[in-house]
Amino acid sequence: MSDTAAIAITASRQLPTRWPTTLTAIAVLVFLLAPFAALVFATDWHDFQFAPGDLDAIRVSLFYSGLALMLVVLAGTPLAWWLAHYHYRGKWLVDALLLLPLLTPPLAMGILLSSLYGPYSPVGGLFSQAGLYLTNTAPAFVLAQIYGAMPYYVLAARAAFEGVPEELEQISRTLGRNRWQTFWWVTLPLARLGLTAGVALAWVRAMGEFGIVLIVAYFPQGIPVKLWVNLQDMGLSAVYPLLWVFFLVAVPLPLWLGLRSRRQGMF
Amino acid sequence: MEIRYLLEKPVTLDIQMQVRDFTVLLGLSGEGKTMLLKAIAGLIPAHGHPFGGLAAERRPIGYLPQGYALFPHLRAWENVAFPLPRGAGRRAQAMDLLTRVGLVDLAERYPAALSGGQRQRVALARALARRPELLLLDEPTSALDMATRDEILDELIREVHDFGVPVLAVSHDPHLAMLADHMAVLLDGRIAQEGPPRAVFARPATMGVARLLGFRNFLAGRIEEIEGAGMVVAGAGADWRLRTGLQHGMHAGMAVTVAIRSEDLVPGDALGVSAPNALKLKIVSLREEGVALRVRMEGALSLDMLLPRLQCEGRSLVLGTELWVQVAPEYVHVMAG
Repeated sequence: MSDTAAIAITASRQLPTRWPTTLTAIAVLVFLLAPFAALVFATDWHDFQFAPGDLDAIRVSLFYSGLALMLVVLAGTPLAWWLAHYHYRGKWLVDALLLLPLLTPPLAMGILLSSLYGPYSPVGGLFSQAGLYLTNTAPAFVLAQIYGAMPYYVLAARAAFEGVPEELEQISRTLGRNRWQTFWWVTLPLARLGLTAGVALAWVRAMGEFGIVLIVAYFPQGIPVKLWVNLQDMGLSAVYPLLWVFFLVAVPLPLWLGLRSRRQGMF
Repeated sequence: MEIRYLLEKPVTLDIQMQVRDFTVLLGLSGEGKTMLLKAIAGLIPAHGHPFGGLAAERRPIGYLPQGYALFPHLRAWENVAFPLPRGAGRRAQAMDLLTRVGLVDLAERYPAALSGGQRQRVALARALARRPELLLLDEPTSALDMATRDEILDELIREVHDFGVPVLAVSHDPHLAMLADHMAVLLDGRIAQEGPPRAVFARPATMGVARLLGFRNFLAGRIEEIEGAGMVVAGAGADWRLRTGLQHGMHAGMAVTVAIRSEDLVPGDALGVSAPNALKLKIVSLREEGVALRVRMEGALSLDMLLPRLQCEGRSLVLGTELWVQVAPEYVHVMAG
């Protein structure tokens, strides 16, 4: 067989397998990104202005999401570490219970929070007596965001901690470092990619939390609830400016962290 | 240094042994050798001394696990500096240790960019940075290539001698034990035998130890006679007889096990029946092992012989034919039981 014939056969073998998958991949990508393109075209760039109260919503979302994220990381990291390191009988039950808040639809979660922290419940009553009202207040808003974001962070952080070889933590101990030093100098640096992914995920969840917030903390209004209110009161075209801001504040941090962790996979 | 450790979980171990200079604890995989090292390092619960009751970070030991467990996010020198107190001289001290193991040029590299032998030396430098009183090595030969293994081992042993720290290395590799200053054999959770390698290899105490040390031929027999210079051991049906060197604690009529190394058997077809320990056996299998030849023979007894190529030259070894083989009496090792 001549060389050209051989090449022709190889080429014809590759074509039918490669092209359909590539075309399908492109089609699916277009399908996924088309709504974002629609936003570009739908926005009235000559008359780009915020609705009244939009700037307050941005301020509320940024500030309280930041606060919620901080609390999620502070409380979720020890829990994730504990889940990754301790093995005991019946752990599967704890694992299953942990999935419960993750799998509960946000609206249902909101109703559950109202039942637990509402002014007429025993727990809510206790908080009210201490001066902390957990309905339609800033603390309620942060609480709702924490419930929305923490399960995702804990799962991601736990996977990150589980990815750190236990042997390296043990070696650190034999080299004279106690558990705390080992955590800071070995576990944390080695889990940092997974942890940053968890932080990014938690940030998006907290910023975008709508279902829980709608039930528990309609006020103070953050971006998601304000978007919904604008949509109800003024129609589709009124929400685009705020929607742009929403993308600008919610997406860059996770996107940057995601790209960074992909690039720094290896030391 | 005397080591005494009791473990119940995950394996049962009752270890009492000496550690002198470079000591090798030989044992099969799954015997719990790694667990013993972890117990001494304080990483799993156990009773024992030295260091019993101390938290892992307070025990003055250096531990090199299999694969060495270098921190992948730290450069070679940062790995070595890990146990050193934070301060101005930290980097200089780490560089000094790396110089001593001959790796100062690779100080800026991450572990992923180092070879197996280089990683081992970085791990050694890191373990020594704490000035340990005892160095624990887990299977130090397992991650090394055959081609460079001996060289790296020689260097490792020289380095630990230089540092003057006693070493306990656990391994399943008899070759490593041969290079040791002192050795012990772990069998069924206890130390079956310990001593200088020369003595242990020549005189294994039990069949289990002999098997671990590479003996392949085991024959059940009885001591027939003890003379001034040696003994005679015979098979149960008196179908074979072997002269052996004199060994203590033996008496006529005693049931014994005879152990012979495959490489100690030599073809003796020119010697005839009058030579000591000459046996005429039928060749039942032949297998090349590198440049040597493994010959399996049967007759009055079954023997496995490893012939170096020098011995094979000019000899026609054919399956099914008979062959005279011989073993020097001093190489016939007799064990009680």
